[in-house]
Amino acid sequence: MSKTAEHAGLYGYLASFDLVDEFLVAATRVRDAGYTHWDAHSPFVIHGLDAAMGVKKTVLPYIVFVAGLTGAAVGILLQWWTNAVDYPFLISGKPLFSLPANIPIAFETTILFAAISALVGMLVLNRLPQLYHPLFANRSFKRATDDRFFISIEAVDPLFDPTTTRELLESISGRPIEEIEDQP
Amino acid sequence: MSSMNHHNGMAYWRSLDELEQTAEFREAVGREFPNDDWDRLPPATRRQFLKVMGASLALAGLTACRWPKEEIVPFAHRPEGRTPGVPQRFATSMEIDGVALGMLVTSFDGRPIKAEGNPLHPDSLGALSAVAQAEILQLYDPDRSRRLLLREGGQQYVKDWNEFESLAGGLFSGAGAAVLAGAFSSPTLGALRERFLTAHPEARWYEYEPISRDNEREGTRLVFGSMVRIHPHLGGAEVVACFDADPLFDHPAALRLVREFAAARNPESGTGGRLYVGESGFSLTGVRADHRVAVASSRVPALLAAVANSLVAEHGLELPAAAAGFAGATDHSATDDERHFVDLLAADLMTHRSRSVVLVGPRQAPAVHALAAVLNHALGATGSTITYTADPSPDRPSHLEAISDLARRIQDDEIETLLILGGNPAYDAPADLDFADLLAGVPVSIHLSLYDDETSKLCTWHLPASHSLESWGDGAAWDGTLSLRQPLIEPLYGGRSAIEVLAIAADDGPKSGYELVRESLSGRSGIPISGDFWRRALRDGVVGQSAWETVAPPTDPAGLASAVDGLRELLEVGRPTTEHPELVLVPDAKVFDGRFANNGWLQELPDAITKITWDNALLISPATARDIGVSDSEVASVEARGATLDLPVCVVPGMARNCAAVALGYGRAAAGQVGNGVGVDTYRFRTTAAPGILSGVAIRGTGRSYELATTQDHFAIDTIGFSERNLRVADLVRETSLDAYLENPEIIHEQEHHPPLISLWKDHEYEGEQWGMAIDLNACIGCNACIVACQAENNIPVVGRQQVLNQREMQWIRLDRYFKTAPGVTPDEVDDAEIVFQPMTCVQCENAPCEQVCPVAATQHTTDGLNAMVYNRCIGTRYCSNNCPYKVRRFNFFNYHKDLADTTKMQFNPDVTVRSRGVMEKCTFCVQRIEAVRIAARNDNRPIADGEIMPACAQTCPAEAITFGNLNDRSSDVSRSREEHRSYAALAELNIRPRTHYLARVNNPVDGMPSSVEGAGDHGKESG
Amino acid sequence: MSATTTEPLSYLDNTGDDPTVRARLVVGDNDFHAVTNKVCGIVESPQPRLWWVAFAISSSLTLVLLAMIAYLVTTGIGVWGLMIPVGWGYAIVNFVFWVGIGHAGTLISAILFLLRQRWRTSINRFAEGMTIFAVVCAGVFPGIHVGRVWFAYWLAPIPNQMSMWPNFRSPLLWDVFAVGTYATVSLLFWYMGMIPDLAALRDRAKTKIRYYAYGLLALGWRSSNRHWHRFEFAYLLLAALATPLVLSVHSVVSFDFAVSIMPGWHTTIFPPYFVAGAIFSGFAMVVTLVIPVRRIYGLQEIITKRHLENMAKIMLATGTMVGFAYSTEFFIAWYSGNTYEAFTFMNRAFGPYAWAYWTMVTCNVLVPQVFWMKRFRTNTILLWIASVLINVGMWFERFVIVVSSLSRDYLPTSWGYYRPSIVDILTFVGSFGLFFTLFLLFVRFLPIVGMAEVKGVMPQAHLDRPGHRGHGDYHGDITGTEVLS
Repeated sequence: MSKTAEHAGLYGYLASFDLVDEFLVAATRVRDAGYTHWDAHSPFVIHGLDAAMGVKKTVLPYIVFVAGLTGAAVGILLQWWTNAVDYPFLISGKPLFSLPANIPIAFETTILFAAISALVGMLVLNRLPQLYHPLFANRSFKRATDDRFFISIEAVDPLFDPTTTRELLESISGRPIEEIEDQP
Repeated sequence: MSSMNHHNGMAYWRSLDELEQTAEFREAVGREFPNDDWDRLPPATRRQFLKVMGASLALAGLTACRWPKEEIVPFAHRPEGRTPGVPQRFATSMEIDGVALGMLVTSFDGRPIKAEGNPLHPDSLGALSAVAQAEILQLYDPDRSRRLLLREGGQQYVKDWNEFESLAGGLFSGAGAAVLAGAFSSPTLGALRERFLTAHPEARWYEYEPISRDNEREGTRLVFGSMVRIHPHLGGAEVVACFDADPLFDHPAALRLVREFAAARNPESGTGGRLYVGESGFSLTGVRADHRVAVASSRVPALLAAVANSLVAEHGLELPAAAAGFAGATDHSATDDERHFVDLLAADLMTHRSRSVVLVGPRQAPAVHALAAVLNHALGATGSTITYTADPSPDRPSHLEAISDLARRIQDDEIETLLILGGNPAYDAPADLDFADLLAGVPVSIHLSLYDDETSKLCTWHLPASHSLESWGDGAAWDGTLSLRQPLIEPLYGGRSAIEVLAIAADDGPKSGYELVRESLSGRSGIPISGDFWRRALRDGVVGQSAWETVAPPTDPAGLASAVDGLRELLEVGRPTTEHPELVLVPDAKVFDGRFANNGWLQELPDAITKITWDNALLISPATARDIGVSDSEVASVEARGATLDLPVCVVPGMARNCAAVALGYGRAAAGQVGNGVGVDTYRFRTTAAPGILSGVAIRGTGRSYELATTQDHFAIDTIGFSERNLRVADLVRETSLDAYLENPEIIHEQEHHPPLISLWKDHEYEGEQWGMAIDLNACIGCNACIVACQAENNIPVVGRQQVLNQREMQWIRLDRYFKTAPGVTPDEVDDAEIVFQPMTCVQCENAPCEQVCPVAATQHTTDGLNAMVYNRCIGTRYCSNNCPYKVRRFNFFNYHKDLADTTKMQFNPDVTVRSRGVMEKCTFCVQRIEAVRIAARNDNRPIADGEIMPACAQTCPAEAITFGNLNDRSSDVSRSREEHRSYAALAELNIRPRTHYLARVNNPVDGMPSSVEGAGDHGKESG
Repeated sequence: MSATTTEPLSYLDNTGDDPTVRARLVVGDNDFHAVTNKVCGIVESPQPRLWWVAFAISSSLTLVLLAMIAYLVTTGIGVWGLMIPVGWGYAIVNFVFWVGIGHAGTLISAILFLLRQRWRTSINRFAEGMTIFAVVCAGVFPGIHVGRVWFAYWLAPIPNQMSMWPNFRSPLLWDVFAVGTYATVSLLFWYMGMIPDLAALRDRAKTKIRYYAYGLLALGWRSSNRHWHRFEFAYLLLAALATPLVLSVHSVVSFDFAVSIMPGWHTTIFPPYFVAGAIFSGFAMVVTLVIPVRRIYGLQEIITKRHLENMAKIMLATGTMVGFAYSTEFFIAWYSGNTYEAFTFMNRAFGPYAWAYWTMVTCNVLVPQVFWMKRFRTNTILLWIASVLINVGMWFERFVIVVSSLSRDYLPTSWGYYRPSIVDILTFVGSFGLFFTLFLLFVRFLPIVGMAEVKGVMPQAHLDRPGHRGHGDYHGDITGTEVLS
């Protein structure tokens, strides 16, 4: 998304909170103000915050489900092709391919594929790893992993206006609003 | 010269594949018998000589049996009728204690790799004993002596044959020369002896063997006035009575006797002789007995006398007048068991006159043999179940007399020069003679021997002997059949045979064994040796129709009288007591008199009864052990005849009360790396007065314990295991009595109760040839021959005592031995037990439990139904072994081939993979033999005939207990034997479908009920 | 803002049984920052002397392990006490032992997570770490116990010079996949849960190295709630996947035995029995480790007595299950009428290996019964001793199953008695060295308590307003609408 000239070099505003309550309320306010490019930062999961922010439910489960099915298929096909097709041998007079004996490994591959997809999917959807981010430049933001809660509104948001946005944030946060530079 | 000879021997071996280099090869041939001075041979002989011996070098004996055609050819041009890589077999023979045993030796590119029996040989009939098969390993033994040694004034000099020859001429002239030979049957050696004695009239000739049948010989002299040789025939015998005798194992013709015995006891044909055995400890014959009583060896005469007594008194048997005294001596101290035994036997002997035979063991005194001969005579056995031939050397004094006389003369400094042909008197002469010390005092003593052994080290000269597989020779079978010996390979270490050395001593000039044998043969048979005759003789290994005439000697009253007196004396001997038990010295089943002590195969071969390897032990019965106060694996100090030895105790049921037995042949000091210090030298107990049976010895426990390396659990284990073992045997090794079997053939299946055996999946269809095996437990006598055959055929390593202690022995065949005692009795209540054998090796299950658990498919099924083991695929998880209910898989815990000598490696069968470290291995029904036959059959585009494939174990089994063949062929022997009522599969209830079935053992006791089991309990209670 | 509902009876004691009172999972007046300080402090401040001593010992034991392995590989399996019939000995016993221990971590993180057992948060990181290290130790043994280690890769379905594939009918191969998957998933789970805490360490970093090292591991985590949202979901999914996995792993391990035909091995009860045993031993090991650690690093307020007590209760439950399994085995052995089976169990109890059997029964069945008494659940010393005994007992359980069954199977002629060699023993001891080395490094460099999660269950994390169910072990979430009302 391209940025308009007036606030070039500005990433956005950062408001901080001390209490979960204020934080939740603030989040709903920002949400209701109609901002889209904003985020809330907390050192731990706050239940209800998703709703307060109006975050849409992630597609991750579907990814994992598909990956799981793939794993199962791979598990079965691997055993069938290697033992019954490519290099069949007679073992204990047993059939070359029989499902029961192949269940355990198929199960394991299912789990393996699904689990890996869960982590990788999460990271990809989160655009992680992203080792640099403008917010990291802010000293006080470091407490986002400790004991403080933040709301950041990005300059790229269509509704973003240096004055109104600042006012909104000041109205909901007891603390001064910080500007976040967007380092080139 | 010696160095060259030495080099020559080695160079030959390194250059097997370099032989294309014609020049070298010719040179090698030129020096073929390196120490011979060619120019002293007449040209004609020499050319023949060159041809034959050259050939025997190049083609390792192959050519010897067709010498007239042979010419020396470089390997560049393949010789006529020979395909490199295709093994060939040659007939030859070996001699133990003066009896020749015929062998067929497989030679692979000039390397003899396996010895099998010669079907044409009367004492072999195609089978071969464990000991004889192990000869191959002895041939390649790196410890064999490689050079002539002269020991003077504490110094030791390396000499060569020329030096010895040049000096030998003068040595034997004049008084004081003597030769000490072993027992021999070789006509050539006999002829040379005459030649020697004519050349040196004053020289003396002695023959000594520690183990012999002299008592039997002497016994016949007492009865018949002249010595005769006894030939039992068990084929037609309805009743066989053995008194301390083991005709099925320690008899020179044992292989033949086993064959007859097994064939005669065929329940399907309803026949079945009855075997009575009275002995001091379990012999293999005793194991198969229908009625067995354990009596001290010193009481065996009384037992036999009681039988005679009962026969005469109760059954009115007529004895010759002079022998009447044999009867009438009643033994009042007899136990109930003994009386019962005597009554049954006497009655049976009477009812089966002329179809019964009484046999007495070699350790019993001549008088006892005399009594047996008289009984056989009176019972009309002579001519039917027993025949006689004249003794080959009737005027030979007994071995003990000979060695004693020699010792006396040495003591009186009458012996200047002593030539010892083979043997090891310094080790095995009777202890009271101090032969070793005496020998050291002889001015010139020459010992011809395979090893620089105890005797050699005391002699001034040591001469390396050539192995019987390296030399020409001949000998006579037990029945006199002339058996020839041809070299399979050039002497590895430049040794020479006894006849060659004796020829030198006889001033007959150094002649080749080849010449000597041909000379004596032509001299004997009178006929000039035509090419055909010689060729056939060599090919067959025997000269047809050359057995001795049987004789029907008349009884000699004078002798009988002295025999009667002799027996009376024996009857005076009281029973052994706990304070003064009896000790019986027995020849070892493996190292024999000690001569095979350096043979790893034999040392590691589990003893049939005790399963002990790498040791000899003091065998006593549980009750005796309790009375004396010693326990299993405790070291007991045994004092007898002035010597005191510490021996580990092995408690084994079936020994007579207060009677102990220990094997001779151990505790060698100079046997070689393998045999040195293994076990205890019990010859120190052995005196001329009491060579076999020592009464009044003292046995004391020392409290120290010594772990015996056994391949199976000991008899005495914890109570739970003991009772469970007793429970399981009945189902694993099934047996019944002949009467019960004939009445209800299904009897052995009645104890099976398990749910129907059905699979979860559709069973695999096995098309085409499907190999299977049937093992007849009624025929198997537990002689261990199959184990050695398998070891030789399949390159099975020897792992040593420590690894056997760790239960890592490698033999693929385990001869399972079970003691059967009455159910519910504890080890403490048992003194006697029945023993059953079950050869156990991979049974090639169709639903093999080992296969399904192998993660890398290293063991899987072949199309012909074998449970194949893919060595190069195995990564060694050992899961297959864990899941094998028979525990017949063997694991290479180390690289057991790492330290093998190059010569030992020459024994390897090139058709079988040598397994590396970390790999599982097991029996595969000798798949290499199956494939060889299959290829041959395919080449001739014909089906494989039944019986054409012979696994090594089946091939060598004297009892023909093992049948192998195609299960899909309804008419094959194996299919038919599996359809017999006696056929069952061990652990069939696991639904693993073993391809090996067993045929139940059928005993033939009088009362029709299996005697021993109930008996055992009773004995126990009485004695316990 | 401090908690206001009924205070626990005494400081540090939150083991009250009054159901109307929600016990607190973090005691003392700790706010978020205090928690961060306590946990990060362990990593940031220099380690106590005790740590160095322990590290010296365990790392040298690790060297012993490596030396033994080198000796084994160069000489052959024969350096162990193995033989025919006992083809599996210490190596497999240790393998099953370590895999079993490796169960607690995933169980705590996954199953207790799904069961909303919030008290898990203080110990799950710790237990997951222990899981990984236990699985590492377990993985060592199957690798080295094969006869030809250099061909062990033939177990994997990758083409080799024989163009052959592994035999997928073999339980050993199931094992390879099960343990492999378990190790991978546990690692993912462990790492993913650690990302926010690594970010915390990053943000507190004083030195550049720490900043970049933890920054790299934290993958640029910026506590964004949009991230938290997917993070939570991924965590939930992983938990849902790990739950059947953790139950399957020891089931599959038990198949190694159950699928065979050996009496004493061929038992359908094995999968549940093994899983129960695994959880049992896993918790025992967690307790064994956590008690000294919370003492040394002053974490009593975060890893509270209640946590220990809960674990003691679980040990009591699983221990009793195991005891039940033992008795069931015996009953079935008799009831089945299978004489081989019957003998195997009589032989276990009264045969040559009776000593091992009764050690097992004492430690696994009798010892946990003391946890009926609260005193033993809450007295850390007694608890610690009991948990150590349980570890011993569980090792012997595997020894009894593997060795005593094999030593006397079908044919009495092949019976034997297995004795471990000194190499066996040193290898086993060495594996503890490896375990503790890894564990100590974990304590030294990584957050051993899941701060983000602990904070999530602290009273301060929840709305404090009338109509709400108060603080502490808090159930149910607030919906956005609720906030608005």
